[in-house]
Amino acid sequence: MPDLLGLISYGTFFLVFATIYSLVVLGLNLQWGFTGLFNVGVAGFVAIGAYTSALLTAPDYPDQIGGLGLPIPLGWLGAMATSGLAAFIVGVAALRLRHDYLAITTFGIAVTLQLVALNAQSLTGGPFGLQFIPKPFADVIADNLAWNLAYLAMAAMLLGLSYVALERLVRSPWGRVLRAIREDETAAESLGKRAFRFRLQAFVIGCMLMGLGGALYAHFVGYIAPEDFLPILTFQLWTMLIVGGSGNNRGAILGAVVVWALWTLSGNVLRELVPAEHQARAATLQVVLIGLLLMLILLVRPRGLLGEEAIVSRHMKDSAGDVQEE
Amino acid sequence: MLQLIADGFVIGSVIALGAIGVTLVYSILRFANFAHGELLTWGAYLAWTALLGFAAVWGPMEPLGPFSFGWTLLASLGVAAIATAALALLVDWLLFRHLRRHGKAITLIMASFGAALVLRNLLQFIFGAVPEYYSREIQVAIRLVPRDVLGGLRITPDQLFVLGLTAVSVVGLHLFLTRTTLGKAMRATSINPQLARVTGIDVDRVIRATWIIGAVLAAVAGVFSGLTVQLRPQLGLDLLLPLFAAAILGGIGSVYGAVAGGLIVGLAESLSVPIVGAEYRAATAFIVLIAILLIRPTGLFGERP
Amino acid sequence: MTALRVEALEAGYEPGLPIVRGASLSVESNEIVAVLGPNGAGKSTLIKAIAGLVPISAGKVLLHDREITGRAAHRLPHEGLGFVPQTENVFVNLSIDDNLDLAASILKVPKKRRLGELYALFPDLARQRRLLAGRLSGGQRQMLAVARALVGEPKVLMLDEPSAGLSPKLVGIVFEKLVEVRATGVTIVLVEQNVKAALAIADRAAVLVEGSTRVVGTARELANDPQVAVLYLGHHRGDT
Repeated sequence: MPDLLGLISYGTFFLVFATIYSLVVLGLNLQWGFTGLFNVGVAGFVAIGAYTSALLTAPDYPDQIGGLGLPIPLGWLGAMATSGLAAFIVGVAALRLRHDYLAITTFGIAVTLQLVALNAQSLTGGPFGLQFIPKPFADVIADNLAWNLAYLAMAAMLLGLSYVALERLVRSPWGRVLRAIREDETAAESLGKRAFRFRLQAFVIGCMLMGLGGALYAHFVGYIAPEDFLPILTFQLWTMLIVGGSGNNRGAILGAVVVWALWTLSGNVLRELVPAEHQARAATLQVVLIGLLLMLILLVRPRGLLGEEAIVSRHMKDSAGDVQEE
Repeated sequence: MLQLIADGFVIGSVIALGAIGVTLVYSILRFANFAHGELLTWGAYLAWTALLGFAAVWGPMEPLGPFSFGWTLLASLGVAAIATAALALLVDWLLFRHLRRHGKAITLIMASFGAALVLRNLLQFIFGAVPEYYSREIQVAIRLVPRDVLGGLRITPDQLFVLGLTAVSVVGLHLFLTRTTLGKAMRATSINPQLARVTGIDVDRVIRATWIIGAVLAAVAGVFSGLTVQLRPQLGLDLLLPLFAAAILGGIGSVYGAVAGGLIVGLAESLSVPIVGAEYRAATAFIVLIAILLIRPTGLFGERP
Repeated sequence: MTALRVEALEAGYEPGLPIVRGASLSVESNEIVAVLGPNGAGKSTLIKAIAGLVPISAGKVLLHDREITGRAAHRLPHEGLGFVPQTENVFVNLSIDDNLDLAASILKVPKKRRLGELYALFPDLARQRRLLAGRLSGGQRQMLAVARALVGEPKVLMLDEPSAGLSPKLVGIVFEKLVEVRATGVTIVLVEQNVKAALAIADRAAVLVEGSTRVVGTARELANDPQVAVLYLGHHRGDT
């Protein structure tokens, strides 16, 4: 029956994206939920992974560097390596700063990376982006739907592996130190250099997962451009984490699915209701709706769907709380 | 060379006015407001809307003297300042006020990032994405310095207006902050809000004043940007990084620091154009930011560590 | 006439978890009253609750027979109630003069006259008006903190552990100054850990234990009362 097939096809497409987003949000959760680092440049690290993998694995690009035609798994490893390296450099420079300075710095990174992606035509293909990114096992599976399902299976497997690895990491002694640093700034300070090293490790690992997500995206769609990695992406990912519940890996995945579902649903509804010539404007309404969702969650249920009850302790407040009357 | 410096000062004025708002909110409300850029955009567009309103009643705008704009733009600026202040107070009332109670700066920053996206996209929904202009009048640039002296210097009357009004605003604000009771109360609140309360200061009133001043300056900066460049929905977002860089460079809490920081960032952007090309000028602000965070995080005139 | 009265007060940072549980106090005009008690008894919380900085869940506070329970903290200096917090009690980035000038502007007090009076009362501060408050020594800071609270000519001045962090000599100097302040007509309420120093200048005192007032009496009565030692140290004088 054509209807059921259409539904399965759509569902697969939806789930692949949800899986990729989940992977990135897991990385974000490690940084924010477990380590308390506010990374506003997520889209930038996703972009690094996507572009690296594309440049390594695509067939030769005549007008620019890259297009090395390497095997896809190497591309993905390369994606994780470059995003990890970028995270290392940023981390060494910025992780010693106050949390808000880290936010501003990572924001600046993302803006700068976007500029580079847009303008360094010989490296990134400029506004046209990179095409012909190879699809894994495309020569083995010809059917579109079957390929999508296969990709979904593979992405889900990677997600599952990452989830298990992260869960173990978080429960390990390393993870416990991390959480202690997050909770108590003074204890962190007394640990000094070692606290910094833990934070750096968490930051790098998180960004590597973001890079992998970017690579998975690139090889699923086959084509990337600077406009795939705008601040709106960072915002979507953060909303997913907050809605799902930060500090909880299951929450991260749930949030990714829920918010992605709301996004596509609202997109479809607007597409149906709004006449063709106003479609572009309708897209802005989508962002407004998701933005309102994030703010609502922060106001009403900051712990998200699955997050732990925030410990109401006066010690948790920082100076931003002093300004408000008790 | 001189031309680049002059252009840098003009951009720098816009950044300076916006950075003052950022630094005041940062020092009194204790968080980096990622939505501040949108106050500039909204200020610019609200003025444009008011301008259309005036034109509907009084006919097309007649330029005043050598400027590209007429008195209706100035009136529109006044309307926009009030409306933008109301917008800032509304966002605080609906959003930031509640989050302050739970007291983590990070949550406020996150919320401000969300608010920025909502405000920007709402604006784009209402006004569309096509760039707009206050006036189509062609300006004749005045030659101030002949070409053989350091490359010469030409400046348009609009740009002189921007420089002049910025200077007046900064001096006015300085007098306000140092001479009036409310200004002193704001200073005290930025140092220690709890002690300010104990001294008899109504901190809620100080908060409202902070938003109003920040928003009014943002509206002026937005109009200046719209006047000297163009109006577009990305106006504020493109200026956000330079605003933060300027505020941090000057030292959080210092108004003069924000002004100095703004001018320096503007100069850096302008001077970088012959080196890295116009496309990368926005990255200059980022480089300034990194440099100051690595070398002297408290900024030039910063007080608190 | 009763300058300050507290009746069966219940207060705490979190609703349902009161730290002050049924404290009562009565302070007559121009008295010095000390609020004593072991660590964690809730003395600081009590005084902060009166000052409007900690939420009150039950009971009343009356200033000159006018109810001020739960009044916003910033209104109280305008009504004649001054408060000197224990820590962070001066504006560190402002000079001594600016600290006092600020308070005078806010409380609409004629600057020249009032600052002149305060500088006469605190000559040490007068000597270095331009000095940044953050650069002052512990003792000078405490003096400035008290002077700042006096700018508005309060009828009642409350202090939260004014001896904290000061050497015994400085404690003596500060407490002598408080006696001088009282002589100008001010009623003083001080929360104190240092029982000896407090009882040396207080007319009456109250002992707070686990949030409620246990003993109230004159300073001499309390100095000689064995019950006070029990409440503080948890044993009788005869024990080892």
